[in-house]
Amino acid sequence: MDKKLKLDIYKKIVLSRRLEERIAELIKAGQVGGFMHPGVGQEALQVAAIATLRSDDYMLYAHRGVAYWVARGIPIQSVLCDLSGREGGTNRGKGGVMHVVSPELGVLGESGTLGGCFPIAAGAGMSIKVKHEDKVVLCFFGDGTSNRGTFHESLNFCAVRKLPVVFLCENNGWAVSVPTEQSTSVKDIADRRHGYGVPGKTFDGNDVEQVYDAVSEAVAHARAGNGPSLLEGKTYRLWGHWIGDPDTYRTREEVEKHWRRDPLPAYELKLMEEKVLTDAARAEIDKDARAQIDRAIAFMEKQPFMKGETALEDLYA
Amino acid sequence: MRTITYAQGIKEALEEEMRRDPTVVLYGEDVAHFGGIFRITSGLQEEFGEERVFDTPISENAFVGAAVGAAITGLRPVVELQFADFLFTTGDEIILKAGMWRYVHGGAYKVPMVVRCPSGAAGVGPEHGQCPEAFFMHSPGLRIVSPATPADAKGLLKSAIRDDNPVLYFEHKLLYATKGEIPDDPDYLVPLGKAAIRQEGDALTLVAISAMVPKAMKVAERLAKEGHNIEVIDPRSLNPFDRPAIIESVKKTGKIVVAEESYKTLGVGAEIGAMLMEEALEYLDRPLRRVAMPDVPIPTAAALEQFVLPNEEKIYQACRELLN
Repeated sequence: MDKKLKLDIYKKIVLSRRLEERIAELIKAGQVGGFMHPGVGQEALQVAAIATLRSDDYMLYAHRGVAYWVARGIPIQSVLCDLSGREGGTNRGKGGVMHVVSPELGVLGESGTLGGCFPIAAGAGMSIKVKHEDKVVLCFFGDGTSNRGTFHESLNFCAVRKLPVVFLCENNGWAVSVPTEQSTSVKDIADRRHGYGVPGKTFDGNDVEQVYDAVSEAVAHARAGNGPSLLEGKTYRLWGHWIGDPDTYRTREEVEKHWRRDPLPAYELKLMEEKVLTDAARAEIDKDARAQIDRAIAFMEKQPFMKGETALEDLYA
Repeated sequence: MRTITYAQGIKEALEEEMRRDPTVVLYGEDVAHFGGIFRITSGLQEEFGEERVFDTPISENAFVGAAVGAAITGLRPVVELQFADFLFTTGDEIILKAGMWRYVHGGAYKVPMVVRCPSGAAGVGPEHGQCPEAFFMHSPGLRIVSPATPADAKGLLKSAIRDDNPVLYFEHKLLYATKGEIPDDPDYLVPLGKAAIRQEGDALTLVAISAMVPKAMKVAERLAKEGHNIEVIDPRSLNPFDRPAIIESVKKTGKIVVAEESYKTLGVGAEIGAMLMEEALEYLDRPLRRVAMPDVPIPTAAALEQFVLPNEEKIYQACRELLN
């Protein structure tokens, strides 16, 4: 990882964090509606993984937050318009902030029903293989979703057909209110790879370099035609499942403990120690992120709401 | 013109479209090496290779959902489900993914895919014998076709493969061996959404779907001998649905019977009845009659199956009742 890449990842983590903080304020103030599942605490995993992709690769994101889109370069003003049901978004009021999309950036979407992503990822992999391309598919999912049948069917299908798909689990320890150990037969989701004969590993999902290295390796494996991998980054959801979640199912001690492992200050400290980042640069990056968000919110507020009758459009090609 | 079977019509459509378009791929359980349990796809893997024609594990969720992923990234997958009933194992993939991926993303993607669904009661019981079209008529975003003749089997499948939307293609198992004439034109296409008037008449409108069509034709013959010239309409396509063809016919006849192999409650006939209430009530001089499956699972033993299945006699009696 060179300095430019490290700074790029850092900037995207900062922008994602500041954006979610602002979105939470907007939702709590009733200024936007939105069915938002925040990703605060998981941004390092998301941003570093996406940084390993080539611009023509495909990705399917999961429910957690805005960092996937920030990392891939979808304009944040479009995300805000999707959130608020205004013109200027990516899905014309149809999918809200759960279905931000960008065909030109290879962002295929996500499945609102958890686990629906796996077969879609397999199909994109099939496409790549039939067309003799050397693209890959990166498919994010949560620990809870690894209990869907689609996970098992798709891993087997991709393994049998050697499809170039990297399955990346963001294990944040909780499926809404149910802790992973109560719902899942293995401690490490990546152990399930043994059932399908595919490579993979478990790593610290809050450590940018570990994420980048592991995902790069799996992406290279897929790109070379060697088939899928199953990866797992351990992380933690620092906020509730949705904005407004009373979060009564976790102890404050547990949440506090994980705030001390927040990947943002950790990465900041590391980059300062490495002299990649200075105090002045850090302040500048933060200021720039806030300014981008101000501009995007100003843009969003000027956009008209989508008209009701557009509900009848976009169904059939 | 040539005479071919319904099964040959399906196979020719697959061969021709795969030769024409390298993005068409075909897969499903037992379709490649074995050629499909109904032997529709035999020899296709030899011609088109292992990448484009392949066998899948018993994983309907994965491979039907994969068709959506493949479709949005540039392929035109044709998936064979061994039995139409297996659609129920893939509810999320068919209804929420294939049907809605385009819509939920504001039209960003097209989803050109076909799911071939062998349908119909044939002594195979409740989980291998349904005609479940009506369930999916209730789901936005899908196209649904149910051909009844060899020419339509071919022409509708070719159109379905070229269509940019997900199409559920219901091929009735008891029609595979039926024969019919077909034009030699390699671009013989039957458009989606256009009903066929199988026989013109003004005494009564008989709408028949899939395997009910040949039965309806026999009923029409029988009634003709009794002095009643009835009109037989084969919708062919249930989504889009050719409403004007039925309304125009009813304007002429004032009477309608719908024959289908779906369950009666909320079946195709129920939708046609509701449509006529809204759009053509003034033209009906008798109530609509539906000949459909009673709302029980399809039993396996022949006596029980024959008891519940719509047949020529039941259709004839329904027509007679309105004509008397």
